[in-house]
Amino acid sequence: MSNSEEQFEKTVNIFIDSIDNYFTKLTQSPVETFAPFVKKPEELLLRECTGMIGIAGVKKGLVYISGDLAMYEELIKDYVGYQSPKENDMLDMAGELSNVVAGNVREVYGDSFLISVPIVFKGKPDNLRFPDNVPIYVIPFKWRSYQAYMVVGIQ
Amino acid sequence: MKLLIVDDSSMMRMTIEQHLSDYDLEIVGTAGNGKEALELLKETKPDVITLDITMPEMDGLECLDEIMKIDPSVKVMVITALSDKLTGLKALKKGAREYLYKPVTPNELKEGFDLLLNRK
Repeated sequence: MSNSEEQFEKTVNIFIDSIDNYFTKLTQSPVETFAPFVKKPEELLLRECTGMIGIAGVKKGLVYISGDLAMYEELIKDYVGYQSPKENDMLDMAGELSNVVAGNVREVYGDSFLISVPIVFKGKPDNLRFPDNVPIYVIPFKWRSYQAYMVVGIQ
Repeated sequence: MKLLIVDDSSMMRMTIEQHLSDYDLEIVGTAGNGKEALELLKETKPDVITLDITMPEMDGLECLDEIMKIDPSVKVMVITALSDKLTGLKALKKGAREYLYKPVTPNELKEGFDLLLNRK
């Protein structure tokens, strides 16, 4: 296995563990992940609603989790216990999910792995740019019946 | 006992509120960043604060320093996604009484609160 392949596998597994821990712990439903792949910045995959975290410090880049509103709605009903969430609540939940998944990675990377507050958006943003020369890993996953993407682009 | 909830996520503020509804707590305010939290601290004088770290305007660690200057007797429970041990230690050194890692389950929240409220 080449060095870049090892790096790919290591990074992907750290983030898969983090998102699986989130859903399993809070909802008792683990995520099912599918074969990750590398994507170019101009071919990014997005679903209805996205929470994005900027990374600085020892690593630089972006992490985002993109899913449909229905996924966040079910998560809110299940975890928060709020049965009639509005769209703003689902966007907020998208931000919180990305914040926790990225923040938990500090257990591996340490406190020099700096994360921003979440940026949330619906649809396609006007300006979503990864730093140059950063490999972008797409990790498709499914939680219950909902398909989503976790995208990691860090040095 | 008066509680102030500080987290930039409205869903997390609601989660904390919902899961602590069995306790005899009066929620005197909720804040989405450290600056708002300090204003509410002065206005409402809570006994207990739940405090997130990663927030806009003023983060939780900076806010904690200010809280301790204003009222060192207030019991602060940090609830954050930052799961490295150093950040937890830093918060405890600054005066936090408890530290919980997100994702936090209702049971963990209640256990943490039991410890916080029974501690002298």
